[in-house]
Amino acid sequence: MPLQHFLEHLLNLLMAAPVTALMNWIGRPPINPAAPIDGVFTMELLAFLLLLIFFVIVRLSLNVEKPGTAQQLAEMVEEFVTNQTEPIIGHKYRVYLPFLSSILLFVVINNLLGLLPDVDTATASPVVPLGLALLTFVYYHWQGLKENKHKYIQQFLGPLWWIAPLMLPIEIISHLARILSLTIRLFANMFASDLLTLIFFSLFPFALPVIFLGLHLGVSLIQAYVFMLLASIYIGQAVAHEH
Amino acid sequence: MRTTMQNVFMTLSVLCMAVPAFAQAAGSSSNSMVPLAAGISMAIASGLCGLGQGRAVASSTEALARNPGARPGIFLFLVLGLAFIESLALFTFAIILFKVK
Repeated sequence: MPLQHFLEHLLNLLMAAPVTALMNWIGRPPINPAAPIDGVFTMELLAFLLLLIFFVIVRLSLNVEKPGTAQQLAEMVEEFVTNQTEPIIGHKYRVYLPFLSSILLFVVINNLLGLLPDVDTATASPVVPLGLALLTFVYYHWQGLKENKHKYIQQFLGPLWWIAPLMLPIEIISHLARILSLTIRLFANMFASDLLTLIFFSLFPFALPVIFLGLHLGVSLIQAYVFMLLASIYIGQAVAHEH
Repeated sequence: MRTTMQNVFMTLSVLCMAVPAFAQAAGSSSNSMVPLAAGISMAIASGLCGLGQGRAVASSTEALARNPGARPGIFLFLVLGLAFIESLALFTFAIILFKVK
């Protein structure tokens, strides 16, 4: 897509020097110092801008009597996330709705932009799902701490005090494995779908690969849904009170 | 018992011969076993993943037919279960992707 390359050039033209300086400073010099911003980052930024524009439009056109198209869309998303997360988190779900909706919309937009030919799928690069998974990890631990205060540690120690030395390492490993599984699930799904379309395109370069684009569309939506669902399950577990 | 142990030790001794032979073959020629291994491991992973997902979908369909009112709960657990089963095959895919160069 020419837009991606145009944006990439523009970003590199404007931001190359400070980004290269920053990457040198943290000890990870970019491969190409003249163009440190790659397509993946450009697509992420594009998704961010699209979401920002959407939210600003929704905010400016809020109307109780005559809801516009953008408001209808936003209400649909809100209703969907509510329906999915309320049974999992419970009646306090409204606090976590902004986070879960943004995760869902960001992943959906990035996945769907990747369907366009000649565009980098941001979520098919391991860095982007890793960032989202780390964000989810930090967020649900923060919310758990905020909700349960010092009792949050009890979730890691198991039901009996003498079993705690065994439970603590197991819990820590399983919580860290959540980052790994969230990352790899999203990344591998999107990468494999891209690869599948590409391989069938190289086998039969006419019309047939469109079927796999359809599959890719389904996978994109389901993976975004699953990511949101898992994030809400983790939040629900973290903020649950022990009875 | 004796014949079993005999068989086991015979197999082990053959394997002792076999390992250096394979190592030499891989070292001297190009790593031609790698695509084969990737293909076989992906086939095992996706085949077993398909079996598991088939079982999950079959029983959830059955549950849905018995009790259509429980649709939201069944759907939630079905999607979650499918995602977890699928991620096992995808772990294999990721390992192949990162280890095979």
